[in-house]
Amino acid sequence: MTPTTKTPSKKEIQNVLKECETHNKKHHCFTTLCKEEAQKQKKAKGTLSGIYISVKDNICVKDVETTAGSHILKGYLPKFDATTIQKLKEEGATIIGKTSCDAFGFGSFNTNVGKGFSIPKNPHDTKRTTGGSSGGSAAITQLATFPHVSLAESTGGSIACPASFCGIIGLTPTYGRVSRYGLIPYANSLDKIGIMSKKVSEIEPILKVISGFDEKDGTSLKEPLNLNAPKKLRIGIIKESYAKGIDPEIQKALKSILTKLKQKHTITEISLPLTTTYGVACYYILATSEASTNLACLSGLRYGQELPKKNKGFNSYFTEVRTKSFNQESKRRIMIGTFTRMAGYRDAYYIKATKVRTKIIQEYKKAFKTYDVLISPTMPFIAPTFSNIDKMTPLQNYLSDILTVGSNLAGLPHASIPIGKKEGMPIGLLAITDHLKEGTLLQTLKEIEALQ
Amino acid sequence: MKFTTDIVIGLEIHAELDTQTKLFCSCATKGNQQPNTRCCPICLGHPGTRPVLNKKALDYATKLCLALGSKLTKEIVFSRKNYFYPDMSKNYQITQFEEPIGTGGTITLKTGRKIQLTRIHIEEDPAALAYTHGMKNSDSVLVDYNRAGNPLVEIVTEPQLTSPAEARDFLNRLISVLGYLNIFDITRGIIKADANISLKESNYSRVEIKNISGFKEIEKALTYEITRQKTQLRRGLKITRETRGWNPTSKTTLSLRTKETEADYGYILEPDLSLITLTDELIHLMKKEIPELAQQKSERYQREHKLSKEDADVMSMELELAQLFEKVATKIDPKLAARWLRRELLRVLNYNKKTTKEIQFNEKEIIELLSLVQTNTISETTAQKLMEQLMEKPFSPKEHIKKHNLEQVTNEKEIETLCKETIKEHPQAVKDYHAGEQKSLHYLLGQIMKKTRGKAEPTKTTKILKKELKKKEL
Repeated sequence: MTPTTKTPSKKEIQNVLKECETHNKKHHCFTTLCKEEAQKQKKAKGTLSGIYISVKDNICVKDVETTAGSHILKGYLPKFDATTIQKLKEEGATIIGKTSCDAFGFGSFNTNVGKGFSIPKNPHDTKRTTGGSSGGSAAITQLATFPHVSLAESTGGSIACPASFCGIIGLTPTYGRVSRYGLIPYANSLDKIGIMSKKVSEIEPILKVISGFDEKDGTSLKEPLNLNAPKKLRIGIIKESYAKGIDPEIQKALKSILTKLKQKHTITEISLPLTTTYGVACYYILATSEASTNLACLSGLRYGQELPKKNKGFNSYFTEVRTKSFNQESKRRIMIGTFTRMAGYRDAYYIKATKVRTKIIQEYKKAFKTYDVLISPTMPFIAPTFSNIDKMTPLQNYLSDILTVGSNLAGLPHASIPIGKKEGMPIGLLAITDHLKEGTLLQTLKEIEALQ
Repeated sequence: MKFTTDIVIGLEIHAELDTQTKLFCSCATKGNQQPNTRCCPICLGHPGTRPVLNKKALDYATKLCLALGSKLTKEIVFSRKNYFYPDMSKNYQITQFEEPIGTGGTITLKTGRKIQLTRIHIEEDPAALAYTHGMKNSDSVLVDYNRAGNPLVEIVTEPQLTSPAEARDFLNRLISVLGYLNIFDITRGIIKADANISLKESNYSRVEIKNISGFKEIEKALTYEITRQKTQLRRGLKITRETRGWNPTSKTTLSLRTKETEADYGYILEPDLSLITLTDELIHLMKKEIPELAQQKSERYQREHKLSKEDADVMSMELELAQLFEKVATKIDPKLAARWLRRELLRVLNYNKKTTKEIQFNEKEIIELLSLVQTNTISETTAQKLMEQLMEKPFSPKEHIKKHNLEQVTNEKEIETLCKETIKEHPQAVKDYHAGEQKSLHYLLGQIMKKTRGKAEPTKTTKILKKELKKKEL
């Protein structure tokens, strides 16, 4: 992707959309293709003219169906652009479509799509998952032959995981780096909009555009984007990367990269016991607590599928709406999240988890006193096949996030980058830097990219 | 808590902060009355929108805490109060739970008793529900989001009030503070309360009354509830812990739910609003903006102007009246000013159903009028009439009395002539008076006032009339 600074012609856009349609038939990357919208968009001249952008379906694009991959939001047409979308449009980028995801981002394999949606297929092997929840974004990023990046979103690893499984780069910036205005929330204190691309160099121009304080999002950061980086990196290899349960071939790929990196940078081992032990539990308590309140608005009154007849009390009406329209995983997370904040359990789960989260942040902060970047594999295994996923219990499912939840809980910038293959399937490396150190993160990615 | 009084009342009062825009978006808080015209994706809770705190609301609440002696929190945090109800598009309300903006504080009642506050917190107003055929008979409900997201403060008292009248006095005093701080618009007057009440006779079994609108209603609801509970107890029935609703039409309370089914709001921190630090600078700035409040004014009026406690309390209760009084008192004897403003101005306002905010004339007219009274230039009757007329349209009382020749008749010779004439014209009354009928004296005085259109100076006239009547007796 080289910025063309040339506004695309009708024909060019048509060709891009045609290609997307072809990919979609086989890989189900999109929930909606902006056939008309892409042509109608006012083409501003800017740093992103000629660049095509796919957008995870939980980010609002004005007048384009935005469902967050769920059945209950089918037909929802936002009346506004998310701040990121507005900024991208202003710089001349063309929005081509909304990408498939687990409904509301609830999943690691993109198999929890809403009723009526198709599960995206891994570009390397259609019998395997793309990873989730930003699976559609990862797939189209791998498949696109036109200048393209995808706008994705991560709550607990939803960018890194599919990036790893599809063999692309997925970067999640510091929490608050990018405005969340217009992002349909999963867990507001964890949600981060990020970028997927094929090459490291493609990330920077997009990040520059979408970063910055937004008065519509009180949690967005005022600090300017800092792209400075040290030449020599102090790399910490997270000890738990070599734990049991992590595919030995992935460990091997990681070791081989580290050997190369060692020639220029310092590498030592670091242990993050708290994060590794409590991260997943802490994450699922906080994420579901917040998610269960976010989804409350989908009651079929103002938002969510309406029932044809409203001739019953509000309680039985919304109960029926929600019973009919939410998928199993959404119901599971609503129930977990409602339980964890119920009187009598709240202190033991929700409040405790907020405290554990602070401890986890402290653990990372301490590590960044001696390290510029922390490294581990992104996922404990390569993209599993759909038949293997079917055999997994919800708990096994959740445990697959073990390496990605930490940096997400701590709001740290992190990225997955491919470092090799096993059985033809990509292996991803996860790099984590301190808050606001996107520059160091990009530098790390460039160094690793150059080694291959 | 150990209670000793016959009645124990605690209040949770919601007052709307008078900001231009809503608590979390830039929609107007007032203006267009057409339903659903003052709303946007944020106050409608469109998925993907985020609340952003209105700093003005924070300023106002900070001021209120400072004025009531509430301890301010260092960091402002909000929570989501979760429950499904059609008046909330998000199905949660953004409020303060864990850490309210203010803890503690007091309000001093008329009697001097201090009522402790538990907490003060900020929250958003839900939408308004409209039932086309009343709550019970409508098969649907309409939702108006104009109000949704308006900023409210909730003030919670300790259960220390001992009667409905005290509750009303408490509210009056709270409204006075809100008015002095200029953070509450009394003309829109949106003040709501939940009240909990318990009686000694029922061993303080607590009943909560929800959603009482308007402070006169609060007193009524409490009075009704006390009577209801006493009647129940007299009949040998128990008072159960429950939540009741106030029906302003039937003027009764009705059971909503018992405590066993109390809602669990599953509070979590509002993750979209980042922590806001209440800086010392802001607190300092807000402190400077707090004027002398009613209680301090009342004490000063008693001290400086030697007003009675009652007069001083009335003069200081409302900012507008206090300001008027202070201006008038620079030119007029403060005691006379207080007496006139309290008796006459408030009487005329009451009669016209107006508030002190709606007075059209200013201190100039009042000072003129009262200096005419002070110098005995006009009679009190004339002054009362002029006060009534001023309320309709401002004018200069001085010019008015000149133009209409309303100066008081104080010349004794003139009064004597008037008395003589009147005695002559009403022989029967004179006869009755001499027969011991005191009423006849008033009748004759009335006749003199009629002749002079109230201008005759009453003390002198009475004296001279009596003298003249005595002459006739001989």
